[in-house]
Amino acid sequence: MYWKNILGVVQNKRTWCNLSKISMENEEENQPISEEIVLQFLDSTDNYITLMESLSSSLRQGWLELASARLSMGTSRVTSTLFDLNMHPAVTTLQVAPLDGESLSQDIMGRQSRFSLRKWASFNEERCSKDTEASEDLQMESNQQLHRHGSHHISANRSHASLSEEPAEARLASSESLTTIDEQVNKERSKSLSVFGTLVSPKLRAAQLSFETAMETLVEIANMRSLMLSAYAQIQQDKDKTQ
Amino acid sequence: MYGFEAMTFNIHGGYLEAIVRGHRSGLLTAADYNNLCQCETLDDIKMHLSATEYGHYLQNEPSPLHTTTIVEKCTLKLVDEYKHMLCQATEPLSTFLEYITYGHMIDNVVLIVTGTLHERDVNELLEKCHPLGMFDSIATLAVAQNMRELYRLVLVDTPLAPYFSECITSEDLDDMNIEIMRNTLYKAYLEDFYMFCKKLGGATAEIMSDLLSFEADRRAVNITINSIGTELTRDDRRKLYSSFGLLYPYGHEELAVCEDIDQVRGAMEKYPPYQSIFAKMSYGESQMLDKAFYEEEVKRLCLAFEQQFHYGVFFAYMRLREQEIRNLMWISECVAQNQKSRVHDSVVFIF
Repeated sequence: MYWKNILGVVQNKRTWCNLSKISMENEEENQPISEEIVLQFLDSTDNYITLMESLSSSLRQGWLELASARLSMGTSRVTSTLFDLNMHPAVTTLQVAPLDGESLSQDIMGRQSRFSLRKWASFNEERCSKDTEASEDLQMESNQQLHRHGSHHISANRSHASLSEEPAEARLASSESLTTIDEQVNKERSKSLSVFGTLVSPKLRAAQLSFETAMETLVEIANMRSLMLSAYAQIQQDKDKTQ
Repeated sequence: MYGFEAMTFNIHGGYLEAIVRGHRSGLLTAADYNNLCQCETLDDIKMHLSATEYGHYLQNEPSPLHTTTIVEKCTLKLVDEYKHMLCQATEPLSTFLEYITYGHMIDNVVLIVTGTLHERDVNELLEKCHPLGMFDSIATLAVAQNMRELYRLVLVDTPLAPYFSECITSEDLDDMNIEIMRNTLYKAYLEDFYMFCKKLGGATAEIMSDLLSFEADRRAVNITINSIGTELTRDDRRKLYSSFGLLYPYGHEELAVCEDIDQVRGAMEKYPPYQSIFAKMSYGESQMLDKAFYEEEVKRLCLAFEQQFHYGVFFAYMRLREQEIRNLMWISECVAQNQKSRVHDSVVFIF
């Protein structure tokens, strides 16, 4: 899996080189491909690579914390044998929506899709959907300004950075609602962990957070990949037109 | 009377004390752990362990090895040694040795009940039970719907029966009730073990009182930290603390109202033995607390061997072996996950 990712990165870099050549050639012919689209592709590739590194870091951290929890609580308490085989509604769902009006190509590869994670479904759905939309907006803004990070705490840093940009009054109101939301979310998290018992080690909770971060990163990767493929398709289309 | 054990202990206990001291010399040393920490794969770990007492148990395991396999085989060795000692022991040592396994028995009961609640196959659950905690009617646990049935159908004929008096209710078994049952049983078991050792008197009472008090205090801290942010009320939390130990009763009162790790630190730092443990951690952190407690426990267990003619050496040996198995499990996990830089986060050296 790791080597496939490296191969993908190398292929993306080769594509970048080809695009640079295409851009130069077209500049010489005074018919440049939209530089904005090229920049969008390059940015999305950069973000994609960063997100992949972040995902790898989150998963490694999560697995180690799970092992640490097993050491702390005992192998009989943290084991897959305790997983609940009863039917339960999904706590977290993934929603896929095509972005209407933004796709310039009828090609399936070119049509951009929007992936969003809806977490803690048993929680108040209206509040959950509002918060999910708000957090998605925040993520979209910060994705455009994403820098290289090695840590898996990107989502936490992002939310803190975005909060500091709001006006003070709105910040107070949002912080109060966030506190209430945090309490509800923590309850839902504890409910998910109850399969291992109700008094679990903080290490198990930390592992849960790491895997949750990994899941969010996966969704961001899917969105970034969709953006990347869409931009690439547009560039290919423009290249075909100029030829 | 304390001091006269030297005259009579060896009549019935001399052979087994010699056996357990021999087993103790087979515990892995810091050099062994350093070699194990350098391993690149689980097969390398198996190769290094082949030169130790675990070699016979791991030699026939095929590659690729899994972490759980290493832990199972190492545990098998401990079980064999324990059974040999138990079959050679006379009273009261045989009862003392049986007490050591009641904790595992409680864990197995809770595992079966929880797994049954989650609709898992009983045979699958029995495979995951700790071998030291097995008893004949354990599979019948799966039919019980509430604690009253659990007691009436199965546990009334087991050594855990006396510990059930505080938790017999007709309430259905759910996750919270099972957790409370687990901790209530363990509390009753620790208190019973403590009283038994006190009755034995002499060096056994003195050494085991210290070790069991430390165990009770550690459990109180773990229950407090694990229950922060949960639905467990302060009264319920207080009921789960044992009725002995350094923290009893004033430390328990403070722990019962703690809402975060810093408050726990504030309550514990008033007691000198635990001040040094919490001094190793920074504020707001609880990740290294387990290791700090294990290190303190190992120190006390090793001190038990400095004195002769008492049963504490048997308890100390079993606990030291369990710590060794935990070390091997952690090293194996770090090697398997290619995270060798983190291997020293949780390894506790015994020698």
